[in-house]
Amino acid sequence: MTIPTPIRLVHVVGSGALTPLVRRAVEVVDASAPTTCVVPRVPGRAPLAELSDVRLADEVGDALDDVLAAVQGELARLQPGGRLVFVLPAAPLMAVRAGTAASAVAGGVLSMARTLSIELARDAVAVNVVALDEDGPADVPPTPERGAALGAQLAALAGPGGERITGQEIYLTAGSDLGRSRP
Amino acid sequence: MTAPESAPATASVTGAHRAGRVALVTGGAGGIGRAICARLVAEGATVVVADLDRDAVEATVGDITSAGQPAQAHPLVLDVTDPASRSAAIDVCAGLGGPDVLVNCAGVLRDARVGKLDPGLFRRLLEINLLGPLALVRLAAPGMAQRGRGAVVNLASRAWLGTFGSTAYSTAKGGLVGATRSLALELGRCGITVNAVAPGFVETPMTDGLPPEIRRRTLDAIPVGRAGHPDDVAGAVAYLARAPYVTGQVLVVCGGRSIGDPYAA
Repeated sequence: MTIPTPIRLVHVVGSGALTPLVRRAVEVVDASAPTTCVVPRVPGRAPLAELSDVRLADEVGDALDDVLAAVQGELARLQPGGRLVFVLPAAPLMAVRAGTAASAVAGGVLSMARTLSIELARDAVAVNVVALDEDGPADVPPTPERGAALGAQLAALAGPGGERITGQEIYLTAGSDLGRSRP
Repeated sequence: MTAPESAPATASVTGAHRAGRVALVTGGAGGIGRAICARLVAEGATVVVADLDRDAVEATVGDITSAGQPAQAHPLVLDVTDPASRSAAIDVCAGLGGPDVLVNCAGVLRDARVGKLDPGLFRRLLEINLLGPLALVRLAAPGMAQRGRGAVVNLASRAWLGTFGSTAYSTAKGGLVGATRSLALELGRCGITVNAVAPGFVETPMTDGLPPEIRRRTLDAIPVGRAGHPDDVAGAVAYLARAPYVTGQVLVVCGGRSIGDPYAA
């Protein structure tokens, strides 16, 4: 007996710290199109003086290389009509002290998403960014509300009507970034 | 890095920040870089014209000095992807008493649609447009902090907002913008401003190779009705290099294209 591959499967790729949260969140997502969530590896905070050439190459260069590889690996599945969602931590995306490397990765992914939303529009692939605020130390489980908010947002992007949402940056920060200029 | 005991706010506000500055301009012999060098020299700065192309560097310095300026331009061959070359550049500037201003202008624009983008090219663009500039900031910042003043101006691009067929370039420039904002937070109390300029379509050798149809559509989408000139960008860079109360910002110099209809024809 052959088990059919579910076309509504949501892929989660990437090794970012938010990956476990995203995996749990997509369990409740009923996607109406092939959907991939990319969770980039965003480095932790480090003062500029500590960002050696090796660290820049590893934490910024390699991390962005991995994002490109993840996207290229999913393209065939997403074209046409798929949904591509990048999930990023909001703090380095907005800017944070001692966050040069993290913000370089987050900002790079943001601009990649913007370009891909334009580029993949002809293939009807919707591309968006969801930014999550920090919930506390990495070893502390996230609050249920945070996971629910992410699940609801991903459901909106992956579900019916999601094809009309592309090139957007959605901050799930409970208003903690209000009054700040965005990148 | 710690803030100096006494911030140089008064000196900066009265304009002393501008006098006798030493500026390092990477990509200084390119289309935009050359205009930036000329502008900073005209404003009284000593400029280290740094570029990969030795002949172009010499020509740029020659042009600046022959234009009637005093000998305030110094040639330097620099490969922004080479750690030793970067350190040597900072050493040259230190010998002149700087750098007080770092303009990360070196860049390469070569790209492809994401499906056909070679990972090696992607990485190369990251190294030139993002990793090299960040390493230079790390090298330049301690001296700036010690003097209690400094300005970093990173040349981003309007592609940071997204551009068709520009995955590698926009990723690198977006990374530079992201880093600019965090660097501004980290270095502000050291008297160092960090900003970015995001040029739109500017007539330079780098954009000469655009296909005619792409060029026409690009020009049609610019509200002011013309391509940018390197001097347009140089003016913005010069302003940010001497604006002590502006930091963490992105100044988009694109003739209004970023607010216009991207499909206008």
